[in-house]
Amino acid sequence: MTDVVAGGERGEIEHAPAGTEERSLTTSLSTSSLAVLIAVVVGGLIMLFSGENPLTAYGAMLDGAFGSRFALGETLSRAAPLAIVGYGTAVALRAGLITIGAQGQVVAGAIGALLTAQFFETAPSAVAIPAAAIGGALFGMAWVLIPAMLRAYFSVNEILSTLLFTEFAALLIEYLLNNPLKPPTAITPQSDPYPDNGILGLVIDGTRFHTGVFAAVIIGLAFIWWVRSDRGFSYDLYGENPNLAQSLGISSNRVIINSLLISGATAGLVGWIQAAGLLQRVYVGIASDIGFFGLVVAFLGGATAGGVLVAALLFGALQAGGLAMQSSEGIPASLSDIIQALLLLGFSIRYAPQIIRLTRGVMANFTLVGRKRR
Amino acid sequence: MNSETGAAPASGTPLSVRGVSRRFGAVQALDDVDFTLEEGEIHALVGENGAGKSTLAKIVAGSILSDSGSMSLFGEPYQPSSRREGAAAGVAHVRQQLSLVRGLTVAQNLQLGRPDAPAIFNAGAARAEVERWSDEFGLGVPAETLIDDMPLAIRQQAEILIAVAWGARLLILDEPSSALGPLETQALIALCHRLRSEGTPIIYISHRLPELTELADRLTVLRAGKVVVAGADVRDADLREVATLMIGDVTLLEVDRPEIQRGSIRLAVSDLSVSSPHGVGCHGLDFEVAAGEILGVVGIAGNGQDSLAKALTGQVKLTGGRITVDGTDISGSAGQAIAAGVAHIHEDRSNGLAASFSVADNATARHIGNRRFTSFGVRLGDKIALHARELIERFQVRPPEPAAKASSLSGGNQQKLMAARELEQNPAVLVAHGPTKGLDPEAAKAMRDRCFAAAQAGGAVVVISADLDEVADLAHRIIVLYRGVVTDAFSSEDMTPERLGAAMAGLTETSGATGD
Ligand SMILES: Nc1ncnc2c1ncn2[C@@H]1O[C@H](COP(=O)(O)OP(=O)(O)O)[C@@H](O)[C@H]1O
Ligand SMILES: [Mg+2]
Repeated sequence: MTDVVAGGERGEIEHAPAGTEERSLTTSLSTSSLAVLIAVVVGGLIMLFSGENPLTAYGAMLDGAFGSRFALGETLSRAAPLAIVGYGTAVALRAGLITIGAQGQVVAGAIGALLTAQFFETAPSAVAIPAAAIGGALFGMAWVLIPAMLRAYFSVNEILSTLLFTEFAALLIEYLLNNPLKPPTAITPQSDPYPDNGILGLVIDGTRFHTGVFAAVIIGLAFIWWVRSDRGFSYDLYGENPNLAQSLGISSNRVIINSLLISGATAGLVGWIQAAGLLQRVYVGIASDIGFFGLVVAFLGGATAGGVLVAALLFGALQAGGLAMQSSEGIPASLSDIIQALLLLGFSIRYAPQIIRLTRGVMANFTLVGRKRR
Repeated sequence: MNSETGAAPASGTPLSVRGVSRRFGAVQALDDVDFTLEEGEIHALVGENGAGKSTLAKIVAGSILSDSGSMSLFGEPYQPSSRREGAAAGVAHVRQQLSLVRGLTVAQNLQLGRPDAPAIFNAGAARAEVERWSDEFGLGVPAETLIDDMPLAIRQQAEILIAVAWGARLLILDEPSSALGPLETQALIALCHRLRSEGTPIIYISHRLPELTELADRLTVLRAGKVVVAGADVRDADLREVATLMIGDVTLLEVDRPEIQRGSIRLAVSDLSVSSPHGVGCHGLDFEVAAGEILGVVGIAGNGQDSLAKALTGQVKLTGGRITVDGTDISGSAGQAIAAGVAHIHEDRSNGLAASFSVADNATARHIGNRRFTSFGVRLGDKIALHARELIERFQVRPPEPAAKASSLSGGNQQKLMAARELEQNPAVLVAHGPTKGLDPEAAKAMRDRCFAAAQAGGAVVVISADLDEVADLAHRIIVLYRGVVTDAFSSEDMTPERLGAAMAGLTETSGATGD
């Protein structure tokens, strides 16, 4: 009788149909492509209304994403950080934790990498580069440590605390780049140039495809290992059924803290890549929107190795293509943002049940009707 | 779906089902089923797990479609294509898994999804309505308490109350008593009788035959999707015969208890106290269980059983006392409990399994950290599947498919899967919480045998259950929990209904009652 109510709330574990798996796979594929189709069509309509030819626009976008060596390099250099953040966030997501703090951890990682690189300014590159990578990762971890402990020991909702720490990071970097880290000659807030011995060089000249992109490959392989590992399995089990995991001796605190630290470390690494590879300096906006889009990529990729890769490439291509479209055809790149947003909307409908399931445990500590549970 | 099937239903008959069939892949869940619900009757629908009872209920409620056949409701042709349509026609289906929203109050649930819901939620009116119905039926359903904070029995009453308030003309209760204690079941029976006298006919689905004599007027038995007894009068029915018809093997109901040699003490619980935010917790429990011994813990649901089960398996911090297994203190550490050989059959199967994980992953989950199944930290899928196959074979999990999702198994097989995981090695202590709850007789027998086998192999077994028959079948010794304390303790030969009833209702002097 209460079917509206029952739908999302109760998983019908009683007798799941034998054919569920196939059916959900086909529906998932068709809804995914439907989301893409809707985004493309609605995006095209918006272009029409704003007086642009959608075919020209999409052509320019495709060309700007894949059409040349430069375009490819651009797509990859944008997809790599998204994938890295995506993989780290996916580890937490699989354990049932929703961290949305990658943005702040990228900022912290960039600062950490810069400071470490400056400390190792005279060391050989073989030392300075890995040292700065570790520095970035450690700062990223430090940035999530307090939210992780709050969640583990006091059940403080990690969505809120990680978001709060993103705000802290934004304020901190603003302060640092206006004061202690700002070179006397600079007018706008920024750091000294990144030390030469720590720079991640270009793989292909004339593009922005730098060696930092390979970090995404390493992180991707590490993620594949994690998913297949015994430890990763126990974390996934915790995400699936925390009560069962605890009864099997899996420590709740350990899962919570470690998986959040892993996500912090990967976001920190991205800070390092952006500072040492792409921008070669630290700016206030160094994290761009990577933290948030990385989260989106993790969600849309279903927190799986292949899914995150595809989603990161898709968003990398859209971003590279959007900018190219603006410069070649004069069509505003914000149209590409709209398409990204439409995609996000479409996919989030597709994944609504999972998202609800994932958030339910977290939200159980709070009620929407303003009553505090005993 | 066509007019020539069967005779035209008598006008006004609350429900008439003619020739309904439904197939799920290879399973013919319902095969040409006829079923008639008469005015003012409680009609029991019985059958073992997988017989098709829930499928029939869902078809009547409109949540799934039949492949063929026809139905009529109060004389009108009836073809619901959704649960909402069924509800609008007056069919209320209280499911095995209750479907109230847990973070809302009863009054809020009353209004949510209501067919004739007003556009604006009037909290006062909703509260008054809940209170009115609750009074009318003599229930204690609180209007303003969150569903989450209510015991299962009250939740169930709330769901029935909401169904009635929504104007149900016909009620289907799917295994409503499977999680209730005796007193709660009595209250449910009284409520059903009350509804019947108000003119609401009820389809009552159950595994428990004894309660039907008191409850129901007529009885229909399903076996493997076919009707084997159609609407027999319950007073004339021989329950042993019905049981035979259900399962085709009456000896399953007779527990032949093996002789078990009692050994030294393996589980010692002293002055155990646990506080629980949602329940009563436990206070000052003392008992010991020897090798080969089965201790039954009975009590009305919600009297500290959950806290005790959690404490014995190391899942909660104790507020006092200690628990030792073979002399090792396992208090408050699930890891140590596992290392000491404590096995746990969870009360709630959905809690005891990782539903979306494979059978193999579930069967071998106690081996997390076992190097035998990993190489460089990576799980060796082949070795795990091979080992899972052995367990599936030993514990007769069906279908024998390591890659199948745990959620795709039937309840009985999920229980076997949990047993396979927990009982692979002979446990030092087995904590079995409602081990045969909701299982058909055959699956229940398999679980009972597992408990006996664990005791025979030298384990100390604790069976916690609200089902007195289950405890009577298994236990050598019984303790009774009431509000988290032990109110009586006796050996199973001394168990009488009077003594049990008094202890469970808290009428026994508690002083000095201990488990030994
Ligand atoms: N949605 C479904 N998909 C596939 N098989 C199902 C589904 N629902 C029920 N079944 C199968 O149909 C049979 C009857 O199930 P059910 O009606 O739930 O039995 P009961 O309620 O009598 O225990 C079982 O074999 C069950 O596995
Ligand atoms: Mg059923």
